[in-house]
Amino acid sequence: MTVPTATTQSGARAPWALRGAGVVLAVAFAFPGLYVVWRNLSTDADPIGLLGSSRTLAPLGRTLQLAVLVSAASAAIGTALAWLTTRTDVPLRRLWRTLLPIPLVFPTFIGAAAFIRTLNPGGLANDLLNSIGIERTFELRGLFGAWLVLTLFTYPYVYLPVAARLQRLAGSLEESARVLGDTPGQTFRRIVLPQITSAILAGTLLVFLYTISDFGAVQLMRYDTLTRAINTNYLARPSVAFALSLLLLLLAVAVVIGERTVTRSSTHAGSARSTRLVQYRLGAWRWPSAALVVLVALLAVGAPLVAMLDWAGDGIIRATRDGRPLTVDAGKVFEAARHTLESSVLAALAAVAAVLPIALLVGRYRSRSGSFSHAIVIGSFALPGILIALALRFWTLRSGFAGELFSDSKALLIFAYVVRFGSLAMGITLVAVQSVPDRFHDVGATLGAGRLRRFKTIDLPLMAPGLLAAVGLVLLSTMKELPISLLIAPIGYQTLTTRIFSSFEESFVAEAGIMAVVLVAMSGVLSWFLVLRRAEHR
Amino acid sequence: MRHPLPSLRLLAATLVLVAFAAACGGSNIPESLDGVAGDIYGGDCVELDGRQVTIYSGRSENLMDPVLSAFQCETGIETAVRYDSATNLALTLVEEGDRTDADVFLSNSPGPIGFLNQRDLLGELQADVLSLVENQHRSDDGHWVGFSGRKRVAVYNIDAVSADELPESVFELTGPEWRGRVAIPGTNGSFLDWFTVFRAQQGDDVATQWLNDMVANDAKYYANNRSIVDAAGRGEVDLGLVNHYYNYQEAAAIGEDHRALNHDLAGDDIGSLLIITAATITQNTDRSSEAHELIRYLLSEPVQRYYTDETFEYPLATGVQPAGILPPLNASGTATIDFDALGGGLEASLEIIEASGIANQ
Repeated sequence: MTVPTATTQSGARAPWALRGAGVVLAVAFAFPGLYVVWRNLSTDADPIGLLGSSRTLAPLGRTLQLAVLVSAASAAIGTALAWLTTRTDVPLRRLWRTLLPIPLVFPTFIGAAAFIRTLNPGGLANDLLNSIGIERTFELRGLFGAWLVLTLFTYPYVYLPVAARLQRLAGSLEESARVLGDTPGQTFRRIVLPQITSAILAGTLLVFLYTISDFGAVQLMRYDTLTRAINTNYLARPSVAFALSLLLLLLAVAVVIGERTVTRSSTHAGSARSTRLVQYRLGAWRWPSAALVVLVALLAVGAPLVAMLDWAGDGIIRATRDGRPLTVDAGKVFEAARHTLESSVLAALAAVAAVLPIALLVGRYRSRSGSFSHAIVIGSFALPGILIALALRFWTLRSGFAGELFSDSKALLIFAYVVRFGSLAMGITLVAVQSVPDRFHDVGATLGAGRLRRFKTIDLPLMAPGLLAAVGLVLLSTMKELPISLLIAPIGYQTLTTRIFSSFEESFVAEAGIMAVVLVAMSGVLSWFLVLRRAEHR
Repeated sequence: MRHPLPSLRLLAATLVLVAFAAACGGSNIPESLDGVAGDIYGGDCVELDGRQVTIYSGRSENLMDPVLSAFQCETGIETAVRYDSATNLALTLVEEGDRTDADVFLSNSPGPIGFLNQRDLLGELQADVLSLVENQHRSDDGHWVGFSGRKRVAVYNIDAVSADELPESVFELTGPEWRGRVAIPGTNGSFLDWFTVFRAQQGDDVATQWLNDMVANDAKYYANNRSIVDAAGRGEVDLGLVNHYYNYQEAAAIGEDHRALNHDLAGDDIGSLLIITAATITQNTDRSSEAHELIRYLLSEPVQRYYTDETFEYPLATGVQPAGILPPLNASGTATIDFDALGGGLEASLEIIEASGIANQ
């Protein structure tokens, strides 16, 4: 690594308040995992025995296969898109930067169904091709279907942190490399890639964990993974469901530890926002690159959106022509939209605030207990949301712990969201913390600035793009969250996603379509908001 | 840079506005109801009288909201509802134990009810409520009562299956002419319930053989009823075994573009089973009278008419006739589920289903 990085504050001990916060947060994030462990101990669950059965190993194998393939594809696509939209003269960059995070907001149960509706036999694309004389019988399903849909839904986990990182890389080295004769490709490999590796790895880890916990997409693509086995067993054989969940959790912990080991051995580049960004002219590659961006945007945002618009439009037209009246009105949609906005914004801010102390412990002080908390936060992302909801019900009501105090309150909902999605904020926040060169602190300290003052005037401005990307990730993900929203929200507190779910499962597709379009539109505005504001303050 | 986190600040400002807007909007009680709820109860609404009932509903808001609005308007009892899948709600009820807020649990399939009954989490219903339905539509021990029925049928694509091809029995579907053409929701709750009754009525050997033959005949696995109806409508599969209800919904939602119809198998075939949606009260409810009032309301004539005329289900209250659009239930051959045997039976069913390998088809 040739980037000028400052020496780390090796030996510096974290302030005790920060260490205390780290421990408290670790406990808060650990409760779903502890619940799964407790349920394994309190029933006749036999996770070890299950591991010997082909009926566990086969779905587990498929889960791993899918997760590896989706991770690889998302890492490649997310990184390429981030580089193209932040560092090159690809046309309409700002539009793409607004559109590309949107797939995060599609709940997979309706997103995957929308893909099927658009691309599969008898679907919209098929009708279109038929009308120009092309008979097509391609069917999106199985490993390929699950891989495609999950890749298109999860690449933003890589795209957002990498784009945030790229916007803070000092351009001087890249300029030097190019002056010395490197091609843009060589510059990318030798200068840029090493500096964004940790961001790519952090994002890819999330993709992997999300994929192993997903149920909505794999079930519609008819690809039999571990989550299907868990879901089928809840009622019939609860102990098996909990044992399989424990295996999922252990898998996640193993992967998280693996990622930490790899990341720790790679150096972290410090950087500053001082120098201007290098922008590459793509030349002959400009249009092929644009085609790649357009293709991803069309597939990931366009295809599901077309199906949702079709459902919505068709239902509205039908309702006006004496068809079945719609069961939603503007008031219900507005109320659900307001709940979605309010809960997701709160959750996003709270999640970033919650992981920041841990990120500081790990990134600045190399604290061992911090690393432990970090692993807990990230690992819990592999647990299906329903388990977090059940765990909360268990700890707050059944055990009498915290008691009735928190049951049926908005605070409990936000807490559950933070536990579910804090992991999303963790990786980017950590990268942001590490991008603040320690020498700035040394200078600040020399000039007599207190710790808090230094944090406000040095750290926050430098970390801002990373923290914003973290907010964006959690925000869009919370907007689509289903199991927690259904079970933990105060009674009657419906979000767009819960309304989409209950409409869609009973084939009220018009209602589901209308609310899905509203959800996407809202996410587009929020995404634009984050991108635009960021661009203005460059 | 003057503002370190401008967007965060703006987001926070938005949030304050949102919270303010939320505080301004209050709930108001309508004088009378309009729309579908108005068809159920057309009179003036009474004031809420402070009585409440909390419902965990495995039936969706679209199906329950008109009924609960009418109930609240007519009785003055305030309803609070948590909607989710019946399975998730049943799991939640187990975790909440005797501290749950829920008074009434509504399930759209029998499995979750059996699951709760097995764990002694259900209360006993009063005799006058139980007697609103025929014997076979309520539990022997008085823990649940059915309030609507969904029949198992074969949904088929009208362009891919001709009328003379249509089967009379699920056993025909293991033949070579149906190879690779049939979809089953192998691990779905209602299929699991259906398969459990299949085993109970015809024995494990017959049921297991049938399922294995279906797998050998390249039957396709889908996650749930809705996705099979959708696939049949698009022509992705020719025929599927589902609950009758979804095709009516899909047709109502997308009209003539939907290219699938329901086909009733023979009345005495296991493929014509009636699956009950049921209401129960929780073991420790302290609002038993409100809970009973609600369940009685679900079984009242206007609500039963709504369920059959508007959502195309079979009414279960004695004396209410199914909507004309629905094929009549075969009086002698109508099988309903003995839920009480179901709770424990699910485990063995799942064992057989997983062993068949259907989930990986």
